[in-house]
Amino acid sequence: MNKYEKAALGAVALMLLAAGAIFLYAPTDALQGSVQRIFYLHVSSAIAAYGCFAVVLLGSIIYLRNGSLAADRLARAGALVGLVFTTVTLVMGMLWAKPIWGTFWAWDARLTSTLVLWILYAGYLLVRRLAEPGRQAARFAAVVGIFGFIDVPVVHFSVTWWRTQHPGPVIVNDALPPEMLATFLFTMACTLALAASLIAIRYRIETLADGPVPAVAEKASAITSNEPEPVR
Amino acid sequence: MTNSIAIALAVARKDLTAEWRTRELLPALAQFVVLALVIANFGFQIDSHNAPSIAPGVLWMALVFAGLVAFGRAFAAEREQASLEAMLMTPASPVAIFAGKALAATLLLIGCEAVLLPALALFFGTPLSAPIVAAVLLATIGMAALGCLFSAMVARIRARELLLPLLTLPLWIPFIVAGGQAVQVAMGAGGSYDQALALLVDFDILFVVLTSLAARFVLDE
Repeated sequence: MNKYEKAALGAVALMLLAAGAIFLYAPTDALQGSVQRIFYLHVSSAIAAYGCFAVVLLGSIIYLRNGSLAADRLARAGALVGLVFTTVTLVMGMLWAKPIWGTFWAWDARLTSTLVLWILYAGYLLVRRLAEPGRQAARFAAVVGIFGFIDVPVVHFSVTWWRTQHPGPVIVNDALPPEMLATFLFTMACTLALAASLIAIRYRIETLADGPVPAVAEKASAITSNEPEPVR
Repeated sequence: MTNSIAIALAVARKDLTAEWRTRELLPALAQFVVLALVIANFGFQIDSHNAPSIAPGVLWMALVFAGLVAFGRAFAAEREQASLEAMLMTPASPVAIFAGKALAATLLLIGCEAVLLPALALFFGTPLSAPIVAAVLLATIGMAALGCLFSAMVARIRARELLLPLLTLPLWIPFIVAGGQAVQVAMGAGGSYDQALALLVDFDILFVVLTSLAARFVLDE
């Protein structure tokens, strides 16, 4: 078993533990009943998605600064995994909204901005696919990755900036009983571990897909793309 | 710096001269926005009662899609004649060239707005007031910066007609939100006009700065 299989297995085991905590340890919500248990994974996935897109932002900036192929691969991996977690957030949110709000979707600021986030990073992956592979795809995608991140704070603060149907923050406001808080923190830690291992595996896949790059060539391409601007 | 401004103005003048000689894009855009109003009429079943409440939405829909057409064409001529590479080989800075292209495309879109706003006032019975024009013009600045950046990007990519709206529209949303609010208030709805206008200025500054930083990476490719 190589280290990637070990990471995957570890992440799955952690998620099963989180499921145990969600369904067996966490108390049932007095108002909403069992459906409130969606909360734990819904919020954790959203935070994991923020983290993934932060990885895209960081990788994109580093790539544009010094042409590091590793940074570009990291951005690629982050975008795909972040898109998966955004999808999970949206789908679980809709499943939760149906019984509680009576509708799958409401056009409130947080739902809308999260949907826009999904579209932005789907566009990122589309640029990667349609641009000429290599430097062009990496550069164009990096620009999209940086612009796309503007939406992350908008999603996060949307509940504070606008009056939304979506509830505001409950964690920092100390609104959760200790068992729920513990379950949430544990689920969040497990989800972040899952995201990290998914990014690591995806990074490995991207490395293999790029083909064998001799260490010298990688260094050379980093140097050429890093050459100073000609004096104007 | 003054040199860069001169280059930007020269590039913009070149684009506008080409447009003036061919008179292709602006008449097409004008026809396009009037057509958008006609389509809206059928889509919304407009009468004298609901026209004022629907008009702001129709305005932004027409403007957004006219913008996509205008900015999509911004780099079309350069691409078809492969002249962008030649321009980039000159010692002119790519950012100055980009600024010139963006300026010309902005002026063309403003020309299109000069048809859209009176047509909207005529067909929908809405006021044509300075606050409405100000909000639309402020939104145009930021939308043009983003539209030209992604237009330059997709000019080098396959399936460019497909990709330009997918990249541009999500990032135009802030301008549609703030501009939409400003126009609604100016047309009689409740809310704060000044706040919406301040938001438009903020977004303009943010996106003009970001696009001018990113332009080098997009054009140099």
